[in-house]
Amino acid sequence: MAKHNNLAHDIWLYLHFPLLPLETLLPQLPREQPPKPIAIIDQQKNTQRVLCCNNQASAWGIEPNLSISTALALCPELVVAPRQIELEQQRLQQLALLCYRFSPVLTVHSNCGLWLEISGCYKLFKGYNSLLQELHNRLQEQMVTAVNGIGSNPLAAQLVCQAEFQIQLPSTRQMEQRLFSTALSKLNTNARQQQSFKQLGLQTLGDLLALPRSALSRRFGRELILYIAQLNNDKPCNAPRFQPANSFRDLIQNPQGIFNKESLLFPMKTLLQNLCHYLMARQCHCREIEWQFEPLIGEPAQMRIQLSSSQNNWSSLLTLSRLQLERLELPRSIEQIILFSDQFVEAPQGMGNLDLFGDNSCQQQSSELIDSLNARLGMEALSQPVLNQDYLPEQASTLVTPGKQINTALDNRLKAPQPVWLLSEPAPVQIRNQQLYWHQPLSILSGPERLCGNWWQSEQQRDYYLACDSRGARYWLFRETSSQRWFVHGLFS
Amino acid sequence: MANTEIISNLLTRQDTWRGRSRRLPRRTIYTGHQSLDLLLQGGWPVAALTELLPQQLGIGELSLLLPVIKKHGSQLCLWLDPPYQPYAPALSAAGIALDKLLVVRSKNPREWLWAAEQSIRSGALLLAWARPQAPSYADLRKLQLAAADSSSAAFLFSPVKALGAPSPVALRLELESSEVNQMLLTVRKMRGVASGAQLQLSLGESCTQRTNLAQLPADRHHGYINNPVLRLKS
Repeated sequence: MAKHNNLAHDIWLYLHFPLLPLETLLPQLPREQPPKPIAIIDQQKNTQRVLCCNNQASAWGIEPNLSISTALALCPELVVAPRQIELEQQRLQQLALLCYRFSPVLTVHSNCGLWLEISGCYKLFKGYNSLLQELHNRLQEQMVTAVNGIGSNPLAAQLVCQAEFQIQLPSTRQMEQRLFSTALSKLNTNARQQQSFKQLGLQTLGDLLALPRSALSRRFGRELILYIAQLNNDKPCNAPRFQPANSFRDLIQNPQGIFNKESLLFPMKTLLQNLCHYLMARQCHCREIEWQFEPLIGEPAQMRIQLSSSQNNWSSLLTLSRLQLERLELPRSIEQIILFSDQFVEAPQGMGNLDLFGDNSCQQQSSELIDSLNARLGMEALSQPVLNQDYLPEQASTLVTPGKQINTALDNRLKAPQPVWLLSEPAPVQIRNQQLYWHQPLSILSGPERLCGNWWQSEQQRDYYLACDSRGARYWLFRETSSQRWFVHGLFS
Repeated sequence: MANTEIISNLLTRQDTWRGRSRRLPRRTIYTGHQSLDLLLQGGWPVAALTELLPQQLGIGELSLLLPVIKKHGSQLCLWLDPPYQPYAPALSAAGIALDKLLVVRSKNPREWLWAAEQSIRSGALLLAWARPQAPSYADLRKLQLAAADSSSAAFLFSPVKALGAPSPVALRLELESSEVNQMLLTVRKMRGVASGAQLQLSLGESCTQRTNLAQLPADRHHGYINNPVLRLKS
C-alpha cells in the first residue's frame, strides 16, 4: 500500500524527439544557404514513406507518411535521405546520458523517447520549473528538437505528450484533465479494439475509464486492463532502467574530409565534452583515452593519451590531445574521428575541486605537468630513479616510467660515500705511468669497498675506490677483481 | 578619498620601490650554508632563474642544491637533460623523496625550452642542464620571465664557456674547485651587487692523503677463484 502511495507522488516526464532521425543525419548532409528542404524516408510495407522533414519541406506541404513519389511531386528539389537507425539509437543513448544528469531514474524508449522520473530531483534543482528550464537549455545546446509530456506515471506522460516543450509543471488537476481528454486513437492498441471503441461511442480516455473494470475486461481482454491499471497508478511499470555503458566510444563522421589538424580540434572538443558527460554520469575518472583518425581509404592513425591524474575537464584533455596531435602523422583526409576509453577508476570520495585548503593543488599541478610532458615529449622521455634490492650499483638504481614507482625502504649498506651521478656504462680507465687516467690523471683518495653481485650467473666482484683529479672533481672507480681492470662508474657532484 | 586609496594600493604593491628602504624585500630559500646565504643576501632567489657555471662536472655542483631539493617537499622536482643517470641510493641517503624526482630527456632545443618553461610555470623545482648548443639569450629571457611569474626557484647548469655570452638570468655563479671538497664561488651577476664577490665554501672534510696504485691491498680472494682445482670442486 505504501508503495502505491509513493507511486502517486511520482512525476514522470516523457521526452520525445520528433525530428531525431533528421537531426542525427544533419551534420553529414552538406550545409547550404538558404537551407534546402530535407526529408528522411523509411521503408514501410513496400513503399518508402516520409518519416520526418524540416521546416523548409513542411512549407512545401510535405508531411510524415507521404509516399516518396508524392513528396517529390510536391517539391522537386527535396533532398531525400534514408533513415539510419543505428546512428539514431546512438544519438538517443547520448541524449539519455545527458538526461541522466537530471535524474537517475531513466528509461529509454526505442521510438525516439526517454522517460525520466523527476520527483526525486526537486531539491537539487530548487523546483521543477527550473529543472525543466535547465533541461530545455541543455537539449537546445545539443541541437535537438524536444517535446515533452508530464504525468503521474510513464504511460500517462507519454499519452499527454504535447507538441512543444513545456517549461511549467502542470498542476495535478491539469495533468488529470489532459489525460482524460486524450483521444482514444492515441492509445497503443490494435485496430480491432479501436473499432470497438468507436462502436461503443467512446471518444476520450476519460470515457473509457468511466466504464466498470469487469465489463472492460470482458470486452477488451486482460492486456488493456493491465494498461489501464498502470495508467491509474494501480500497478507499477517495470521498464529496464538506463545504465551508462561500461566503456565509452563515440565518433564523428565528416564525409567531406578534414585536411588539417586545426580543423580537427572542433570535433575533438565535442567528443571530449561527451566523454566528460559520461564520466560525470558514471562518477569515475579515466586513465587513458584513445583517438582514432580514419581516412576513407588507408590505415587509420591512432594515439593514446595517458592520464596520471583526475583531470576530467574537457579543456585539459583537449590540451593534452593537441600536444600529442602535433607529433602524430595523420592521413591526408580524415573521414571519421573516434574517441574510445575503457580504463576508468572510481572518482575519489568528496569533491576534489572544492578542496578548501588547497592540499591537493600541489599534487594536481604535478600530475598535470607529467601529463603534458608525456603528451608532448612522449612516454620514453620521462623517467624516475628508483631503488632496488641489489648490490651492484647499476642494478640498485634504475630508471622507471613515472607513476610506476614502489617505495622501498632500504638499509644503507655502504658506509662509504656514494656518488650522485652514475655512468650508464662503466667507462674503462687507462693506466699511464703507474697512474690512472680518464680524461685526466686520477689519484685514489680512499677505498676499497668490496661489492659482490650476480653470483648466480657471472660473478662480479668489484673493489670501489674514491678518486679525484687535480682540479678537485671526485670520481667513483672500481677494479674488477677477476680481470684487474679499472673502470669509472660515477661522479660525485 | 579615492586618490588616497589608489596611492595606498600602489604602495602595498611588491614592485613599488620606496626611497626609504634600500632594496625590495626579496624572497629567498636558505641554501643550507650560512656563508653562502650571507653572500646571496638570504639564499637562492625565488621566482628567478639562477645560472650555475661549474668549471667541470663532479666538483660538488649538485651537492650545493641538494638541501633545496630536500626542502622542496611535496612538489615535483624536474631534472631536465642531466649529464648522467642520477644514482638513487645516494639521493635517498641525502633525504630526497625519489618519487618527486622526474628526469626528462629532450630531443631538440625546442623541446628543451618547452619542457623547462612548462616546469617553471607549473611550480615545480627545475634543474636544467644546458644542451651542447647553448640556449640563446631570447630563450633564457623567456625562462627568466616565466620564473619571475611563478613562485618557485629554477636552476640552470651551463658550461663555463657560456660566461663569454651575456645572460638575462637573475643570478650567475661560477663554481670552481682546486681541492677536493673545497669550492670557490664567484658571483658573475647578481641584482644589486657588483660582480666579482667570491666565497670559499667547504663541502666536507678536505683530504690530502693520496694512495699510490702500488700501495693498494693485494687481492687474496681473487686467487682462490682462479685456482682451477678449487673451481672443479665447487
